Amino acid sequence: MRRPRLVSGISVGVLITLLFLLPVLYVVMMAFETPSHFLNSPMTPGSPDVSNFGNAWNSADLGPELLNTVLYSVVAAALAVGLGLLIAFPIARRLLRGHSLLFTFVFVGLFLPLSIIPMYAEARILGLFNNRIGYILLHITMAGIPGLPLAVVVLTASLASVPLELDEAAWMEGASYLAYLGRVIVPLTRPALLIGFLYAMLGVWNDIIGPAVLLADPSLEPVTKGIYTFYGSNLSQYTLLAAGVVIVSLPVVLLFIASQRQINRATLAGGVKG
Amino acid sequence: MMWGGLVLGVAVYVLFAIVPMIGNVIISFTDYTALPGAAVHNLGFSNYTSMFSTEAPGFEPAIVATVVFVVAVTLGQNILALLFAHKLKGSGKFAAAGRLLVFLPIALGVTVIGLIWILIFNSQEGPMASFFGLFGVHSAFFGADNWAMPLVILVQIWQNVGFSTLIFIGGLRAIDPALYEAAAMDGVGAWQRLRRITFPLLAPSVTVNVMLAVVGAFTTYNLIYVLTDGQYGTQTLGMLSYNVAFGSFDSNLGYGAAVSVVLFVITLVVALPMLALLRRRERGLLG
Repeated sequence: MRRPRLVSGISVGVLITLLFLLPVLYVVMMAFETPSHFLNSPMTPGSPDVSNFGNAWNSADLGPELLNTVLYSVVAAALAVGLGLLIAFPIARRLLRGHSLLFTFVFVGLFLPLSIIPMYAEARILGLFNNRIGYILLHITMAGIPGLPLAVVVLTASLASVPLELDEAAWMEGASYLAYLGRVIVPLTRPALLIGFLYAMLGVWNDIIGPAVLLADPSLEPVTKGIYTFYGSNLSQYTLLAAGVVIVSLPVVLLFIASQRQINRATLAGGVKG
Repeated sequence: MMWGGLVLGVAVYVLFAIVPMIGNVIISFTDYTALPGAAVHNLGFSNYTSMFSTEAPGFEPAIVATVVFVVAVTLGQNILALLFAHKLKGSGKFAAAGRLLVFLPIALGVTVIGLIWILIFNSQEGPMASFFGLFGVHSAFFGADNWAMPLVILVQIWQNVGFSTLIFIGGLRAIDPALYEAAAMDGVGAWQRLRRITFPLLAPSVTVNVMLAVVGAFTTYNLIYVLTDGQYGTQTLGMLSYNVAFGSFDSNLGYGAAVSVVLFVITLVVALPMLALLRRRERGLLG
């Protein structure tokens, strides 16, 4: 009884190590290889060499692209969460008659497949094509996980635990709506805000179809497009590409590890509710 | 102030989520191209009818590729996630490290994931080329007809299995441990406990995970875009829609929109009865 469980536990551990840890470690190892050493013995690490990082940084132009990515993902995620709160509060407090209908209307946004084709058409028509503001606006609802509907869903759930008495107290004191949201609601719903922000940010940060379609000017490109273009034009410079991949993913991986606990907890809670 | 905020938020949602949905259907009836300034004409249903004609090759292979992709990803992702969740649900250090590892791809994102696997499976100097070389197997992997689709499926599962695992862990943890203790006390074996307790009570998580995997596999194509750009038999309907609209040779947004409308309808036709079936199964199992 005890032994087979231990064996199966170890074999799953080995499977996860092989599938999830080794590929990542291998690419990190590649990033520290000199091209000539890698060419001769791709399977064994040589003496670590950091010149790939500088070379990748310069030849793929990663600096300005990383700045673009940070700008796009932080601003779009902040807008998604901010607008999400503005929608979620009246819904959670049932301040309008069709509150549950409105919730459903926004909730379906999580499942509607957003085709990139009408986004492109809309960008052209509204003058949002190939500029930073347009790219950010289109990404409030777009990308892997639609930021705005997700924010509304998690915030509506979270607001249910904020006591109504706080609203009444603020009302008596004559606090303005936005000041009340900022000073009272934001600190109390911080976990939900953080989850909404993180998922929205990851979606924008990692988007590759958006930059391929909605931007034309290389100086506006985020880092995903930059590294992908670099791969296309330097097909055999594997160690450089590996270094570029490490640079591009390092910020999100660090952020992810730092916020792992919150992500885990929120996703687990979602699973329980089913 | 509050109403202003609400209207602003909903307006952004309508403008950038609902309008594109409707716009996509409208565009599918036209010959809209990516060329700015070109006149747009109403084509009626001709984008749809030409999909099934020989003029537009690629539609039937895309249907086949989509079915293979969806079935393999849904099965693989859920079976693997169930296995992982079973072993990683605990509160120990190893379980926590395992959860971190399987969830890591979510943070890495499609571009980095795609490039990692392109590096691993690069046909000249990569570790997989060396490994398969030992057996005398040489292949271009992502650039080979018989390898590309299985590899794309594997990487898609690799990307999303962490999310499914977490949902299953949530479901497993929600099961009252007293049930297992009582069953063990009554001398019920491990297999029977799995069949009679875990399986029925996990049904809601199974529903969520299967639906997420099916809808996800039908609609996403960004990973395929990075790995193969839809070449070598990996052109699913989503990829086809993108490629006819923005690929290097075509700029036929009307036709691309029509393909994505068809994809949406197929997804609904498969997903809705499936959801009903899974819900009924839940009720049956939970009594």
